[in-house]
Amino acid sequence: MQVLVAEDDIETAEFVARGLGELGHSVIRAANGPDALHLATTETPEVVVLDRMLPGLDGLSVLRRMRAASIETPVLLLTALGQIEDRVEGLEAGADDYLVKPFAFSELAARINALARRRPLSETPTELAVGPLHMDLLKREVRRDGRPIQLQPREFRLLEELMRGADRVVTRTMLLERVWGFHFDPQTNIVETHISRLRAKLNEGGADDVIETLRGVGYRMRG
Amino acid sequence: MRSAAYRIAFVYSAAFALAIAILGAIIFWAMHVAFTRQLDTMIRDEAAALVSEYRADGASELAEAIGKREAIPSHDRLFYALFDAQGRRISGRLVTQRPALGLHDIVFIDPREGPDAGRGFAVDLGDGERLLVAADRERVEQIDRTVISVFLAGFALVVLLGIAGALLLGGYLRDRLGAISGAAEGVVAGHLGARMPVSERGDEFDRLASSLNAMLERIEGLLENVRQVSSDIAHDLRTPLARLRNQLERGLGGDPAAQHAVIEEGIHRVDDVLALFAAILRIAEIESGKIRRNFAAVDLSALVAELAESYAPAVADGGRTLGWDVEPGIAITGDRELLAQALVNLIENAQRHTPAGTAVRVELAARGDARRLSVSDNGPGVPVQDRERIVQRFIRLEGSRSTPGHGLGLNLVAAVARLHQARLSFGDNRPGLIVTIEFPEDRV
Repeated sequence: MQVLVAEDDIETAEFVARGLGELGHSVIRAANGPDALHLATTETPEVVVLDRMLPGLDGLSVLRRMRAASIETPVLLLTALGQIEDRVEGLEAGADDYLVKPFAFSELAARINALARRRPLSETPTELAVGPLHMDLLKREVRRDGRPIQLQPREFRLLEELMRGADRVVTRTMLLERVWGFHFDPQTNIVETHISRLRAKLNEGGADDVIETLRGVGYRMRG
Repeated sequence: MRSAAYRIAFVYSAAFALAIAILGAIIFWAMHVAFTRQLDTMIRDEAAALVSEYRADGASELAEAIGKREAIPSHDRLFYALFDAQGRRISGRLVTQRPALGLHDIVFIDPREGPDAGRGFAVDLGDGERLLVAADRERVEQIDRTVISVFLAGFALVVLLGIAGALLLGGYLRDRLGAISGAAEGVVAGHLGARMPVSERGDEFDRLASSLNAMLERIEGLLENVRQVSSDIAHDLRTPLARLRNQLERGLGGDPAAQHAVIEEGIHRVDDVLALFAAILRIAEIESGKIRRNFAAVDLSALVAELAESYAPAVADGGRTLGWDVEPGIAITGDRELLAQALVNLIENAQRHTPAGTAVRVELAARGDARRLSVSDNGPGVPVQDRERIVQRFIRLEGSRSTPGHGLGLNLVAAVARLHQARLSFGDNRPGLIVTIEFPEDRV
């Protein structure tokens, strides 16, 4: 897929572009605000990676103008460390996701993938099916090969996120953000604890493990 | 004048002197007018008396009366002259021109002093004869002179006192202010310990000096803190960076598989360092208070229960138990995520610093106006004398901060508590430690 990377720091832009290229994405680059806006409107990237601090026109303004011009391309906003306030502002301006620098490339790649495949809200399904698993979001029921599985609300949310992102990497931070609403990194790995409990429930009776652990990155549900 | 103290004192004295001068002029003018009027009344009365004499006894008697009056030696005697229709003086010794009727200033020839100014009153007697009664102005002028000289002496005294006062006051102000600015210059020159002198009078200057001293105290504390933090950070960075360096060096010689492990380990170490910076920057951001703009109503009960529930399995995996008792329906105004992070840090601390088998409890309850959130354990606790120290140590970032989570954890809790105007305290749980965050009454 095509990804627009708007980042003025050459080293970061280079690092991101090379990584995305290796994953098979085609990357177009902009090093300032006006260029980013121009490329976002004239090209058809599937995802825009937008740095918040761009020369010429800052990232938030680029984002606002894009949204004002009805360009609904998913935008991942990048920001410097320690800007809690920025996140609120960024999301208000229309960003779809938010990543604080410095970030691990695997984190960025996972989020770009998630954004590209995200469906509009109107198409949100009421049922999810991945491999042997079936989830009914209205009845809050989960079955594996027809066998019902009792889950805690938090475990249900975890599984839902993994199933929505089936065959893609869902990182630990993404789960912390979406399931717990944490935008910080706790010392205790609560994600790991809950995944292991969820896994135990899903694999009860010696069934195959459906949750793949990617060490240091996150999890992937195999379809 | 470069000294505001002297300028103020002198301007004040000058204004005072000007007021005295204006007052003096008014008094002088009033007295002058009053005495002139008195003189006028006197000559008019005298003229009336002579006219009635003339009406009763005729012209010859009048001339005699004039002669008699002129013969009496007196320092405030009056002068007389009677003119005929042609303007010739026919009686009286007053040497002057035939005057117009009524009251006016005249010039006459004083036999001793020559031409002199006077006040005269002229009245017609009939047959064109005109009687003039006059008085020397000398009498009024003498009073005027006396008043002026007395006043000038007084004014000179006022001006002298004013100047002396201005010098004294100016000098006093300059000395007091000079002491303060001298101390300030000392601070500028790098003596951060310098303080403004405070006398026992407790006046405005002392209050100013006291507030400046309090300000310096605070600044010095903050600077000391910054100094401490910078050296701590430098120290904390050296260790992981040195290890990273050694590791990378070792990796140089290894086979590809070993190199991969080295790189992974290296990334892990760098992440630790980045996490330390993230924590420091986050605390700095919280302390700046800007986040208060994002404050919203937070269902504290739901948040605490949710977190306790999420953490219970993780704590259980670590060989401890986490129990909770949350009173429902407690809401405050704040930042949901920071409150969550503070509670997470407290739970993690309770877990990290206690032996296996410890029971950790999270409680939220409303007591009167205050809402109390506490995290307690039945571990070894912290001795009373150390309780201050751990707060101090963590808050001031002194001592052990070998890993990002350690030390900065409580520091963040303290910053979050301050941001929410809540009180953070450490107590004895008999046995164990109890950390309490007491939120004040919500003012929303």
